[in-house]
Amino acid sequence: MKIDFTLNNKEISIDVDANRRLLDLLRDDFGMKSVKEGCGEGECGACVVLVNGRSMNSCMLPAGAIIGKSVVTLEGFKHTERYKAIESGFLKAGSVQCGFCTPGFVISTESLLNENPHPTDDEIKEALSGNLCRCTGYNMIVKGVRLAIEMGEGLW
Amino acid sequence: MVDGIRPKSLKKALEILSEQQFTIMASGTDLMVQRARGFALAPEFEKPLLFIEHLSELKKIYIENDEIHIGACAILTDIMHSEIIPPVLKDIIGQMASPPTRNMATLAGNICNASPAGDSLPYLYAVDAKIVLQSSDEKRTMHVSEFITAAKKTVLKANELVTDIIIPNKVYSHNVYRRLGQRKGMSLTKASLLGMADIEEGKIIDIRIALGAVSAIIARSKEIEESLKNKKTEDLKTDVAEILAKYDPLIKPIDDARSTAKYRKKVSLNLIKDFLENLN
Amino acid sequence: MKSKRAPVKQPISKSIIRVDSRAKLRGEAQYVSDWEFENMLYARTFRSTKAKAKILSIEIPDIPEGYFIVDKNDVPGVNRMRTVVSDHPLFAEDNVQYIGQPILLVVGPDREGIDSIYSQIKPEYQEETPLLTLEEAEKHSKVFTDYNYKKEDPEKAFANAHRIIEDSFSTGYQEHVYLEPQGIAAEFKDDTLFVYGSMQCPFYVEGALMDAMDMPKEKIRVVQTVTGGAFGGKEEFPSLNGCHVAIAAKKTGHPVSMIYDRDEDILCSTKRHPSKVRFKAALDENDDLVGLDIDVLLNAGAYNGLSPVVLQRAIFSATNVYHIKNLNVRGRNYMTNVLPSGAYRGFGAPQTIFAIEMLFYNIAKKLGVDPLEYKMRHLLKQADSTCTGGCVREEVKMPEIIEKIVKSSDYYNKLKNNKKYQGIGISLFLHGCGFTGKGESVINGKIELIKNKDIVTFKVSSVEMGQGAETVLRKIVAETLEIPIEKVIYETVDTGKVPDSGPTVASRTTMIVGGLLQKTAMQMKERWDDLENLELTNNYKQPKYLSWDDENFRGDCYPVHSWGANVAEVEIDPVTYELTVKKLHAVFDVGVPIDERALIGQMEGGVVQGVGWATIEVMGSDLGRLKQANLTDYKIPTSMDVPEIDCDFVLNPYEFGPFGAKCAGELSFVGSPPAVAAAVAHAMGKAINHLPITPEVLMEMDNED
Repeated sequence: MKIDFTLNNKEISIDVDANRRLLDLLRDDFGMKSVKEGCGEGECGACVVLVNGRSMNSCMLPAGAIIGKSVVTLEGFKHTERYKAIESGFLKAGSVQCGFCTPGFVISTESLLNENPHPTDDEIKEALSGNLCRCTGYNMIVKGVRLAIEMGEGLW
Repeated sequence: MVDGIRPKSLKKALEILSEQQFTIMASGTDLMVQRARGFALAPEFEKPLLFIEHLSELKKIYIENDEIHIGACAILTDIMHSEIIPPVLKDIIGQMASPPTRNMATLAGNICNASPAGDSLPYLYAVDAKIVLQSSDEKRTMHVSEFITAAKKTVLKANELVTDIIIPNKVYSHNVYRRLGQRKGMSLTKASLLGMADIEEGKIIDIRIALGAVSAIIARSKEIEESLKNKKTEDLKTDVAEILAKYDPLIKPIDDARSTAKYRKKVSLNLIKDFLENLN
Repeated sequence: MKSKRAPVKQPISKSIIRVDSRAKLRGEAQYVSDWEFENMLYARTFRSTKAKAKILSIEIPDIPEGYFIVDKNDVPGVNRMRTVVSDHPLFAEDNVQYIGQPILLVVGPDREGIDSIYSQIKPEYQEETPLLTLEEAEKHSKVFTDYNYKKEDPEKAFANAHRIIEDSFSTGYQEHVYLEPQGIAAEFKDDTLFVYGSMQCPFYVEGALMDAMDMPKEKIRVVQTVTGGAFGGKEEFPSLNGCHVAIAAKKTGHPVSMIYDRDEDILCSTKRHPSKVRFKAALDENDDLVGLDIDVLLNAGAYNGLSPVVLQRAIFSATNVYHIKNLNVRGRNYMTNVLPSGAYRGFGAPQTIFAIEMLFYNIAKKLGVDPLEYKMRHLLKQADSTCTGGCVREEVKMPEIIEKIVKSSDYYNKLKNNKKYQGIGISLFLHGCGFTGKGESVINGKIELIKNKDIVTFKVSSVEMGQGAETVLRKIVAETLEIPIEKVIYETVDTGKVPDSGPTVASRTTMIVGGLLQKTAMQMKERWDDLENLELTNNYKQPKYLSWDDENFRGDCYPVHSWGANVAEVEIDPVTYELTVKKLHAVFDVGVPIDERALIGQMEGGVVQGVGWATIEVMGSDLGRLKQANLTDYKIPTSMDVPEIDCDFVLNPYEFGPFGAKCAGELSFVGSPPAVAAAVAHAMGKAINHLPITPEVLMEMDNED
């Protein structure tokens, strides 16, 4: 199936099986290794990417469903000012331990703030509830988002 | 080799369906997991895929004749943001799956999956929602309870698409939705209660009660609801044991990896009791 | 979410940005599944679907060129995974002992091709009767390991007892759910074997490879890749899958990578040992607990493996923070035809500490006294003898810890609240630092410190797996030498490049390895100005005052302990029995924090894992198959499931720890389960003797009468 979409602001045209998971397309065909496979069933959030600005589980998205859409991974997002704010917040708060869940949390944070620039702590926790972390116990991640909002005043 | 087609319009999609058999695919949140084959492998499909999530005709949410039409491919997150959707339905959708999954999933997908634990179903049953099915030569509208015939079974024909879900444009004065999972974050539903009622001067004008995940098909009884009409809410406390006894046989849960039949039954009855006793 | 803590005066405790965070945030950290090798092949493990059976035959389809089957016939050396007890076959021989046991690998260049071959493999089994539960194993006396130790005169204590109380407790499985599934790869470069993977103990894997490949140490290089979480789950397990890919690399002549599917990982990788602990308590005329008979039963699964050491820590932690004069402690590892249990944060201590904490709670309730006060009557003090007749040499700061936590949690006021379904509970606990018994002497850990002008490189075998080891160890060296941390390099943990300073386990990294680094850095500091280049090495030496009789389990099983208290506040919904842990207060004595934020990160993570084990992490097995075998059914806490956590420390510098630091990583886990259990017991007015505490359990409990 012919798949035309945008990946990190670059126009892409490929021919792949319609049922190919976006996760595998990104990792294996485009080398976007920041996107991780943690479970393959939409439960852990390690595979989330931005599709038209919204966080989605790439392990569940078939190639045919992304036609005409804009997909952004950390490889693209890390060059933005918004990323820098998230990075600063997360570094200061101690939000990163083993790091495997981290790309997913960065993406979900952007997805949240893009829609809701001034969330409450409960809204932050709810927005991140689709991302599992086994190392931190989440407190420092929520703090990281809070600091990102402070440091990224005006970006969202 | 799994092929796919992405038709440009609903009309085209229905034409294609009339000629060939496909597996209908919106964003894949159910099918891509059900057919998953493991690490770095593409899920298995015997038929080619018909992609429909992008069809604008299927995304509309609007009011007509005092009914709310929700397009089959309206994304859950967008339904939650729509101003015309009753708050209790937004609450229900907000507790489905997880935020990224809600950004992909569709209401029609949840209905067509027809799982006994399908979270949109108690509401649809409670409000007598209608499902619109279209093929290239026919349009049928039916009650959701006619659409779903058994667990995981619907009357959807091979050449048909669900195109709309129609619910009354109505907000009840009292709404309670309680959903139990294995934790507060995303999880499949162990049991749920949806209770809605219109109360005027202490009297029940209309009442709907539906239970999720405790029977093969959503548990709801119009007879019991009828019997509660015109009752005073203060009388409910004395009648509650009798009412629960009527609901008991409708609740037929199972033991599984997530919970026990005993717990599901007890809690469902507790939730009904709690709903009725706090209606005033 | 607030972290109220007293000002920590030690400069070393001042937090810095963790050195590995930026790369991870940018998605640039390379985990083993991100590595690509030229001409790489993928491997997938074919596993037993029977709990106990003879393998009569295996029908293998025609294998296309470029694909391979790798099995027991391809093992160059010994077909056993080297660990404490090397009983687990790398590839099944003529029998299988658990569902999920590896039988063979399908290896090839394309995953679809592998899948096609895989689905055509047909083993013929002759099923035998498995032992599926701890009860069955006990009935049949299927014991792998049987330990027993005594202290003073338990027979006399029981003969003279004014009251004897019996009680028993049980706990369930726990799966690590490290976010990065097991992954490992192997290749030969000339005749040297390289194994790369997600692991805690590269030298364990090296040893296992030496046996399996019949190769000398010099020809093997095991390299740790960025590890996405471990918690003990990557302690001994990589020795198994490491041998698998090495054997496959040898047979195929290609690099081989094997990344587990999450479902597969849950099905077959090691789990926390389910436990049963039975007590007989002898109370004297003052109602003091003067004698304990403890029987610890662990479900080790189909192979013993690492379980004897888990059992040791379980039985040596069985009296927890208490001074019990007379003891008879027995521990048994039982064999069942289910997947092998193994290392998991706490390593046997969580099971016995939960049990004894709730024993004290239940006895206090029976006596009509406050559980905390009853516990405090029996607290160990400095110079007391331990359960194995060793000596508590450190100052025991438990009174200060308790005072602090009682105050910050308002424990006694909240305890007065007798509203049903709301509860508060306290736990007291310790964790023995470093390897149990003779372990450290056996390892004889070695480190190297190399000065090259103004850059200092240190070489250790401790890995960064998210716990902050790289940051903490670099900080220790930098602070000791008084140079910027940017000038301190942590050598890649590659067995060809670093000495064996021991595995990254037992909460030993900061205290033992960090201690050795500090000692060596001090030596370097003295000679800093004299020499442009300098290489120093040191081996770990146990403090001379320690003595341990491994035959009779007498003496100092740990050089020192870390201590703590947790208070949990819970609320139960009376309609649905949903349990909410609202707050978790924690006060710890870990000596001195090396980096406060990194430490709190560990403590919060451990507390949440403990809450998960105690409440929502349900894993049972049915007919030998795990009932909850994927993340849809096995639930760990999400951001919406965590309590408000309050974490504080009490300083208690340890003479032999770097800057006074002791151990912390596992201590963080041990306290929250019994604190939650005690809070639920208070809320429900009933004893809580079993974990996990689910709404289903609470519903049954509430409807008993």
